[in-house]
Amino acid sequence: MASLLSIQDLHARVGGKDILKGINLEVGAGEVHAIMGPNGSGKSTLAGVLAGRETYEVTKGSVLFDGKDLLGTPPEERAKAGVFLGFQYPVEIPGVGNLHFLRTALNAQRRAKGEEELDAMDFLALAKEKAKLVQLDAAFMNRSVNEGFSGGEKKRNEIFQMAVLQPRLGLLDETDSGLDIDALRIVAGGVNALRSKDRALVVITHYQRLLDYIVPDHVHVMAAGRIVRSGGRELALELEEKGYGWIGAEGAAAGKAKEARP
Amino acid sequence: MSAAHYADVARAFQARGDAPAWLQAIREEGLSQFQARGLPTSKDEEWKYTPVATLSSHPFQPVRDVSAGEDVAQAVARLALPGPRLVFVDGRFVPALSVLTGLPRGVVLKPLSQALREDGALLQETLGQLSRPSAHAFTSLNAALLEEGALLTLAPRALSEVPVQLLFLARGGDGPVLASPRIVVVAGEGSEATLVETYAGLGSGATFTNAVTEVSLGDNASLRHFKLQAEGDTALHLGGLYSRQGRDSRFQSHAFSFGGALARNEVHAAFAGEGGECVLNGLFVGRGTQHLDNRTDLDHAVPRCSSRELYKGVLDDRARGTFHGKIRVREDAQKTDASQTSRNLLLSEGAQVDARPQLEIFADDVKCAHGTAVGRLDDNALFYLRSRGIPKVDAERMLTQAFASELVRAVPEGPVRARVEALLAGKLPGSAEVMG
Repeated sequence: MASLLSIQDLHARVGGKDILKGINLEVGAGEVHAIMGPNGSGKSTLAGVLAGRETYEVTKGSVLFDGKDLLGTPPEERAKAGVFLGFQYPVEIPGVGNLHFLRTALNAQRRAKGEEELDAMDFLALAKEKAKLVQLDAAFMNRSVNEGFSGGEKKRNEIFQMAVLQPRLGLLDETDSGLDIDALRIVAGGVNALRSKDRALVVITHYQRLLDYIVPDHVHVMAAGRIVRSGGRELALELEEKGYGWIGAEGAAAGKAKEARP
Repeated sequence: MSAAHYADVARAFQARGDAPAWLQAIREEGLSQFQARGLPTSKDEEWKYTPVATLSSHPFQPVRDVSAGEDVAQAVARLALPGPRLVFVDGRFVPALSVLTGLPRGVVLKPLSQALREDGALLQETLGQLSRPSAHAFTSLNAALLEEGALLTLAPRALSEVPVQLLFLARGGDGPVLASPRIVVVAGEGSEATLVETYAGLGSGATFTNAVTEVSLGDNASLRHFKLQAEGDTALHLGGLYSRQGRDSRFQSHAFSFGGALARNEVHAAFAGEGGECVLNGLFVGRGTQHLDNRTDLDHAVPRCSSRELYKGVLDDRARGTFHGKIRVREDAQKTDASQTSRNLLLSEGAQVDARPQLEIFADDVKCAHGTAVGRLDDNALFYLRSRGIPKVDAERMLTQAFASELVRAVPEGPVRARVEALLAGKLPGSAEVMG
């Protein structure tokens, strides 16, 4: 079966600096992949490039989503196709209500699929149901988007949005960073509830701890803009034991070897 | 065109000789002040950023009669709020579309033309008392052409819970039309009311509205003043609001400036008694080549008064806006508590805003805060919204609306806020609706 997400030799730069230097990754529907790696290895850049952040410039390579080119389309079209990015730093937007924002987004996606828009009442019922997944209460949903939310609340709000929007591919960028264990359990519980045979999840994390709660099918290690190791869950355990030090050296060596080629 | 044109117009108007001597004196003084001052130029500090030549681009003249047909009735139906109202077209009162019933006891509303006949004693005392000292040439011109507008008087402790509305429609006639409405509000001790001035366009004729409003608040009185300016894209609009507050009084000015090729909104507020509170809010939203000026002047002349000023501007395309806000705290005005904020959002490379706070503080025991900001839409917020599937133009619209919402929410929930929301919606990114 063809991959839902197929990344070939992806290179990208930001502000003239090369960050991604040849990413290859295949993600099939129903799979959960974890991408781990030290700070600065390019994990978040990869997530941003896939979601369409305009500050990144793709210089080489291709990304197919469901067999179609993803890179040439604006972020909103990617979202409509089923790509969802859970932000590492969710943005505070004073003056825009959380529910209004999410209903506008859901209805934009429904229109794109030729489905009827949800009215305020039906949407509220849906939102209330999905909010239970991550234990968000109603008062919280009526506030401005992420305004004054704690770090944990912001991450729960990301998963809540994913639950409402039901994407085919969820990219979770360090959703676990900065969470205490209770919040992490809630967030991971929400993510696990969203696992399905039609949906792929790519979980980007700096810490092995998350993988105790979200058990991946595949683990990839990134260093210096490349995936330097791929394996099963045991790779994460190896990282836990040895840290990133050895990977960094290996990744740097791999990078040099490649650059030395004509 | 030039100052000479307006002086000719005023002389011809005054030669009608149909006014009582006291009124004729006010008009003649206005004309002589106008001539002494001359039209402002861009060398004049107060008008530095304003394309002043536009103000004499056509031979604008007052009209004597207007016909109010179906177009006017439709505009009134679209714009009027429930409750008492006076309707004007090109500066002329239209009785058939006005509503004078439903005024509470002690509240009197009448067109100025009628008041000039019936309330000479009151008007001789009040007309020009507030606007004259800080007047510029166009305030003087308004006096020289004084004829129509409105008088609202509130007896002591009178309470008007329903907003009183003045609706000015600028249509333009056979030639370029000048309307010079004068609005006088005299609020007695402990009285309370809401006044809504709405300015809208009707058709595509050349129009110049030069309005002056004078508000005198007695002790412990309260007035909420809303100005909704949504004239057509070619209209010229100058509006000056002058207020003076007695002891313990509350005055709020909410100025929404959406229309006009050139629109200048001035507010001159003064405290005359201790314990007064003043709110000056403003939202200006321009696009195309609109030029929207905002000038505020707040005079803390006495102790223990507080003022809160918030102006926001949203400018798209090649529109230009200015905010020039002055707060003066005089030597005696101890315990003054004043704050002024100007925040501006530029939606395109070609848009421009000049924001200039000016604080003159002569007292030493005061709290005065001010802040100015000019920015663009936050790229992170835009990306966040788009990453959820919201199209770019809708995301820009949501963020712009959010920026403006603080001033919309400052309007109490009800018909006035609904009207503001509807007018604003037509000005946000992605909206093709033309003002008028």
